[in-house]
Amino acid sequence: MTTVDVMNLFVSAVLLAGVYAAMSVGMTIIYGVMKIVNLAHAGFLMLGAYFVFELYTQFHVDPLIGALLAFPVFFSLGVGIHWLLIRRIPRSDQPTLTSLLLLFGLWLVLQNLGYLIWGNADRAILTPRTFSTLQIGPIIFPTIRLVVFGAAVASLLALEFVLHKTWFGRAVRALMQNSDAGRLVGVNVEGTARVAFGVGIAFAGTAGGLLAMMYSFTPDFGGSFLLRAFVIIVLGGLESFAGVAIGSLILALVETFSILAIPAGYQPAIAFSLLVLALVILPEGVAGLWNKRQRWT
Amino acid sequence: MAPILRLDRISKNFAGLAALKDVSFEVEEGGLFGLIGPNGAGKTTLLSVIAGSQAPSSGSITFRGRDFTGARSFRAVRSGIARTHQVPKPFRSLSVLENVEVGYRFGCDDRSASASKDAAQVLEWVGIGHLKQLPASRLSVGDLKRLELARTLAARPKLLLCDEVCSGLTETEAASVLRLLGEIRGAGTTILYVEHNLRAIMSICDRVIVMNYGQKLAEGPPEAMQNDPSVIEAYIGKAASI
Amino acid sequence: MTDATATSKATISKLIPVAAPLALLAVLAAFPLLGPGPNGIRLLFVTLVWVTTSVAWNLLGGFAGQVSFGFAVFYGLGAYSTAMSLNAGLDRPVSLLIGAAVAVTASLFIGLPTFRLRGPYFAIATIGVSEAVRVVMTNVAVTGGASGYRLSEHGNFNQLLHFYTALSVAVIAVAVSIFVRRSKFGLALVAIREDEDAASDLGVNPFRTKLLAHALAAALTGAAGGVYTGYAAFIYPQGVFGFDISVAILLMPIIGGVGTVWGPVVGALVYGFVHEELIASFPQLHLLLYGSLLILIILFEPGGVMGLLGKIVRFARSRSGRGAHS
Repeated sequence: MTTVDVMNLFVSAVLLAGVYAAMSVGMTIIYGVMKIVNLAHAGFLMLGAYFVFELYTQFHVDPLIGALLAFPVFFSLGVGIHWLLIRRIPRSDQPTLTSLLLLFGLWLVLQNLGYLIWGNADRAILTPRTFSTLQIGPIIFPTIRLVVFGAAVASLLALEFVLHKTWFGRAVRALMQNSDAGRLVGVNVEGTARVAFGVGIAFAGTAGGLLAMMYSFTPDFGGSFLLRAFVIIVLGGLESFAGVAIGSLILALVETFSILAIPAGYQPAIAFSLLVLALVILPEGVAGLWNKRQRWT
Repeated sequence: MAPILRLDRISKNFAGLAALKDVSFEVEEGGLFGLIGPNGAGKTTLLSVIAGSQAPSSGSITFRGRDFTGARSFRAVRSGIARTHQVPKPFRSLSVLENVEVGYRFGCDDRSASASKDAAQVLEWVGIGHLKQLPASRLSVGDLKRLELARTLAARPKLLLCDEVCSGLTETEAASVLRLLGEIRGAGTTILYVEHNLRAIMSICDRVIVMNYGQKLAEGPPEAMQNDPSVIEAYIGKAASI
Repeated sequence: MTDATATSKATISKLIPVAAPLALLAVLAAFPLLGPGPNGIRLLFVTLVWVTTSVAWNLLGGFAGQVSFGFAVFYGLGAYSTAMSLNAGLDRPVSLLIGAAVAVTASLFIGLPTFRLRGPYFAIATIGVSEAVRVVMTNVAVTGGASGYRLSEHGNFNQLLHFYTALSVAVIAVAVSIFVRRSKFGLALVAIREDEDAASDLGVNPFRTKLLAHALAAALTGAAGGVYTGYAAFIYPQGVFGFDISVAILLMPIIGGVGTVWGPVVGALVYGFVHEELIASFPQLHLLLYGSLLILIILFEPGGVMGLLGKIVRFARSRSGRGAHS
């Protein structure tokens, strides 16, 4: 293993972290605000992929533009679903099994819709960009991954900005900490939750579109990403967005460098094992360790 | 007579916040001890730590001469320390009788006869025997508080930790609960009673321990506590104590 | 209503809970003799395997409220262990016991870390575990890896033998469920489900109780996997460890009525028959159906089919009660 090889692996891991981060942001928002574990996230990743696919094959829209367009479309979809289903289940400051099972049911429905509309053939989006690479010095960057990484960073930054610099963001953060107190100081809990859910789904759709540029997909696309999203959220701390970045990085690094140690076939088990380990050993994620050191007033 | 419970410099920290700081006191067997203090003083946290629902960050707990520091609540209960919860935590889908049976069958290590009979007797004693077949989800707040007490009593504790059993009750209801506490104590159970209602405490307790900001402020007979300047200050503020 | 009518009504309502299951058992036992043909027997065989897993899952997920999304682990481990034992020449009951034993051992390894977690976190952790095991089994060579594992031929295929094995295991499962429900152990499980902290404060040891329920459920599920293997004679990782198996296992009790004794049985019966018909006529729609059903149940009738039936019965009784007094 030469230094260049290691560096290439490292770069690969960082770019992969970008992909993972983009993919988990949606789930983190919904979890953070509503304490709902959105299992249907996988379904929306899948729909986002097909959305961008259709735009590309039917209307020759560049997938990147398609992914951007997915944002408002999926936002509306998310708001609609919240209105139709989510608002009917009792809210809680703790994640509940009711919400888990409800969204699981929704995921099954979405998968089936996918099969009905698109069948189970593998699809892929192939553009000139798909195979192009950028070379800086001895390091090779696949262009797509750079693009996705950029998109991920941009979304996380945008999110941080909204959360800390806008009124809506403040309302969201209040709800994330204590929804009853939030209501007491005038935060419109249901409205904020609805918008937050919509935003979460919007990110899922967009991420799905981005992922579609890199992987082939079928209607059960998203399942493997779902578990990775859990790992990331748990590793990074279930309620912090910097945590998503940290979690993505850890997962991507472990996955990428594990190729050196174990046979490729076992690789998917890494995410799963990390998940269990993380849940058990670090229930508040890496960020939680950090929080414990901070003092309250 | 040796104290049934001894706390030695108990402290409890939550993420940098000191909920309890160096709390020490003794409880005599057979006594009825009050624990008072303003909101946030740490009273419920202290009960939690004694009962084993939470572990102390430092310090020790001795119960009947044995070290119980860090013992988990199911072990503590089986050895004789039981607590009620400030906000009742009923088993909603179980009937009132079944709720009490949980306490009766699991809460005490002495093997005993048929569960239902004695659980039913506890229900009668507490005054909700007529509700025994109802699912717990159908009870009023006052009755839920009594259920909480009945369930805990069914565990036959030697030391009963009561957390605000009178709050939310009407005058009459509260009076009957206080009478009940007297009967429980008369039957041989030591009681440590956390309460916000000062009149209730003063009327039945032998000794009162006052807390604020996680620390023990003062300790003594009720009359002395009423006139203690630091106690008055804790409840009303500095100006009033002058 | 006269006293005599009231007494006989009371006697009847006491007899029904005993008579109905026995009648059902009689019907099931006699089923192959009623001439349904090998296909019908196969259908009921599979359904009985599902009844076992459904009832088993419910011990942990329904009674104790610990929803596991990873029961395929036990099904698959039971399947593989039984298969390997059969191939080693051991007879069927022993092989099934081995399957159950392996599953129980796994349940302890899995439960030790995961039962520290509550609710959804536990559920998610079980997904992780189950999938990790599947990936490992897909790669391990000695059990055939992804290509699967085949039972060596031992004489003629006796469909009735497999059918009655499945029926026996299902009966054992239901008997265990009834027994647990009425026992002190069952009381502890429900207390944990309703409020784990309060249960602990009253003397229940939640961790140990959960481990025990998990082990019991795993044993039965492992046995079910073993029963299936004996019939199928060929198993492969995706088929027995797949996430869709875990999903099916948990859907059935939820559909039928989670937390009751007969709900899981009803759910499995419904699922077993409907699934076959669905796959035959509308293979494209089964996820849609189950997903919608799950959503509807969660939103409107968490008690599933049994809950719905209970409401109908209570409604009918209150109607007839009013009629009698008017």
